[in-house]
Amino acid sequence: MLPLFTTGAITSNLNLLYGLLIGIAFGFIVERAGFARAIHIAPTFFFRNLRVPQMMISAIITSGTWMIIAVYFGWVDFPHVFIPTVYVWPYLVGGLIFGVGMIMSGWCPGTAVVGAAVGRLDAVVFGLGMLVGMFVYFINFHSFIDFANGSNIGRFTLNRLIGGNIYVGYLATLAIVIGLGIFMNTMKSIRDKKGEDI
Amino acid sequence: MKNKYWNPFVGGFFLGTALFISFIVAGQGMGASGAFARITAELTYLYDSAFSSNAYASHYLHNGANALANWTAVEVLGIFLGGYISAAFAGRIKGGIDKAEGYSTYKRLFWAFLGGMLIAAGTRLARGCTSGQALDGAATFSTGSWIFMLAIFGTGFLIAPLFKNQWKNVN
Repeated sequence: MLPLFTTGAITSNLNLLYGLLIGIAFGFIVERAGFARAIHIAPTFFFRNLRVPQMMISAIITSGTWMIIAVYFGWVDFPHVFIPTVYVWPYLVGGLIFGVGMIMSGWCPGTAVVGAAVGRLDAVVFGLGMLVGMFVYFINFHSFIDFANGSNIGRFTLNRLIGGNIYVGYLATLAIVIGLGIFMNTMKSIRDKKGEDI
Repeated sequence: MKNKYWNPFVGGFFLGTALFISFIVAGQGMGASGAFARITAELTYLYDSAFSSNAYASHYLHNGANALANWTAVEVLGIFLGGYISAAFAGRIKGGIDKAEGYSTYKRLFWAFLGGMLIAAGTRLARGCTSGQALDGAATFSTGSWIFMLAIFGTGFLIAPLFKNQWKNVN
């Protein structure tokens, strides 16, 4: 039964070793796609090219489809797959802050690790900023702990929002990514027609 | 952007497959920001052990645990190695700073640092970053990941004009 670790089939140490290998695959793929460079990430926010959302959409569809097949055949015990607990307002505010930081820096945490590995100084400085930011967050956490831990709606997949089983959640996910893809393509064509940033 | 990089849809297929393998082996997806939080927690603890009672970091450090003895921390070490290996084979290990031509290096590094600080806070509120929250959650049909992702890209698009000089003609 899968997942191996959370159903007790492998030890914690073996899981860590697999984690290292999975990380290597992740870093390798991110670099091969060109996202070890901030100049290949930042253009997304100007609709100059759509490589970042294209890769994310493709990854979500791929992983989601593997998962729904595995659930259908009973290979994966879905409740044993970790999904972050949803905190509505902290997620929204966290995303707003994150979005500002991302256009400002041109990085997100995962790509910056790869950027640092290939020698980009701005990625290293971004990483140091993250460490300092974590420290500032930790020492001030007591003052907004109620907000940060509030509006908790638990493990909340899309099918719980609209009703139905996990297959509905999968189809809703497909609908969202296709809708977003159409929106992004439209924005890019507007930008291309104009010949400059919107 | 040069053609020597993978097609993003092909890259996404491999990324999604690796992500699925992560789910079925570890029972969790790939992350990144948690490792930064744990490095800060561990360093602060080494400087002052009273930090183990900090309101946030205590759950990383309880009972004298090493904050870095953790799946995501080890996996992020792998991300670094994997990125290095890929770039080394492709001849893309190259120091430098990414920005528009002529843009001030000091300004660029200032924004990189400040952006890192903001993103740190954003990831703690959202329990993850573009990997551990947005990608992992979306691939497991979570509602929260879309709240987070739409907020990121919405804000990014809205305030991008403020940073157009830093990213001028970059594509």
